[in-house]
Amino acid sequence: MKRLVLLSLLLACVASAFAAGFVALDRKSARTLADGTTHTAPTIVALWSTDCPHCKKNLGLFTDMVKADPRLRLITVAVEPLSAEVVTSLDRNRVPGVRYVYGADAPEAIAFALDPKWRGELPRTLFFDGHGNRVAISGAVDRASTRKSLGLTDKR
Amino acid sequence: MTALHKLGAIAALTIAASVLPHSASAADAKDKAAMAGMTGMAKKARVELASSAAFARDGQLLAVAKQGDHLLLYRSNDQGANWSPPVIVNARPEAISGDGENRPKIAFAQDGGVLISWTKPLGKPNTGEVRLARSDDGGASFAVPITVHRDRQEITHRFETMIVGGDGRIYLAWIDKRDLESAKATKKPYRGAAIYAAVSDDGGRSFKPETRVADHSCECCRIAAAVDTDGAPLILWRHVFEPNERDHALAKLKPDGTPASVERATFDRWKVDGCPHHGPALAVAPDGTRHAVWFNQKNGEGRAFYGRLVSGGIDGQRFVGGEQAARADIAIAGRRMAILWKEFDGERTQLHAEISEDGGASFKRLALGAANGASDHPRAIAFGKDLFAYWRTEIEGMRVFRLP
Repeated sequence: MKRLVLLSLLLACVASAFAAGFVALDRKSARTLADGTTHTAPTIVALWSTDCPHCKKNLGLFTDMVKADPRLRLITVAVEPLSAEVVTSLDRNRVPGVRYVYGADAPEAIAFALDPKWRGELPRTLFFDGHGNRVAISGAVDRASTRKSLGLTDKR
Repeated sequence: MTALHKLGAIAALTIAASVLPHSASAADAKDKAAMAGMTGMAKKARVELASSAAFARDGQLLAVAKQGDHLLLYRSNDQGANWSPPVIVNARPEAISGDGENRPKIAFAQDGGVLISWTKPLGKPNTGEVRLARSDDGGASFAVPITVHRDRQEITHRFETMIVGGDGRIYLAWIDKRDLESAKATKKPYRGAAIYAAVSDDGGRSFKPETRVADHSCECCRIAAAVDTDGAPLILWRHVFEPNERDHALAKLKPDGTPASVERATFDRWKVDGCPHHGPALAVAPDGTRHAVWFNQKNGEGRAFYGRLVSGGIDGQRFVGGEQAARADIAIAGRRMAILWKEFDGERTQLHAEISEDGGASFKRLALGAANGASDHPRAIAFGKDLFAYWRTEIEGMRVFRLP
């Protein structure tokens, strides 16, 4: 038993570092996150889950694009509560940006606040151009459609 | 995070896996530890509300739900007003899927045996085994569960459905990625996953080797099943039609589990490289009409639909509920039919029903209740001439509505 307690403590300490930066969403904070006026730079809000193979493709693309262009911001939202799998999925692929997970509020209320047109399909991505405009796209996207959705027209 | 932290984490997780007796417990410990470091608002474990309910022949209502590493079976003699203390289905704890599209199921063998099926997640993400436990005493106790398929690779065998055919055979069908994994190994393209089925002709005590029903299913939507008027099982699932249309396919199974037919069942042409996480439901009327409800995006709008599946098309396709309608289910009792769905109203999740007394020619609409917190998908249940809604919600618990 003592061994298990010690193990739990060790796990908790180590995982604190792991989980640092994760923020739990409720409907109010989700509404703020989805509000175009709160984003003053081109921003990708990527909704994903651990059981969605296509989400990994999008997160990989967004990670590359954000690393290559300092003007872009990436925010990830795991549409599930925090788990070790959520942490490792992002860490393994070195996905940057603020990391949200679903908190204690009703999942349907959080989803509705993020995007009332979104019906749970993943990946779902909210693109903000930094000037108050927002575009939402379901499914895997490519570099060109991402740049277009972010309002980036210059060639890079 | 520093390299030291990472090393420590890996070491700690490795220790956890080797010290704790079962993988699921290790996973729970990891998750608790992960949550300990979360900043911001309230913390929450995954709510695993997914459960099923069914009436036994004697009118007893049985419900199965997950608690930790166990499945619990509850029984009610008064149509869900009161429930018995639970019986543990799997004496030995194991990981169990119990959320969203992946729920435990209940069926009854012709000899009265109570059958519970579920998916047991394995170590790697999105992997699992399809499990089944049988009770010979009406659900008072269960035999040691079995894995129904012979393939034991650590890959996807998940999202099972279970149905008892008119001939008494037990059919299980599930989403299986063995063909996808083989294709990956040889660097060949492969759309989606596959549907496999296994059949038991001894009441669920053992299963024959599984067979492939179809290539190219979608990867994480529930599979619907119903018995056709000739007793053969029908299964309906979300498929990936070329190049990436996520419509539905319908198969009729032979007694050995191989498909007698596979045909396209819906024609909404939702082209998306993504996961809808939203599977269909199916019920067959006594006259053989196949009534279905499903979710698709059509003309850019994601909606719940009802329609009658006919060869090469849909008869009477229409919306179910409003823009937020989701997770529709359907059941038929003679000429009576019930469609259920839930719908978020901006504050709470409402449970709605449409009832038909004339085989689907006309429907009346009912509001059944609401949930303030998280909720499972609603289940429509037929028993004799009666129709019921079963809905498990986070705050209110297991709720049963007898539909007027």
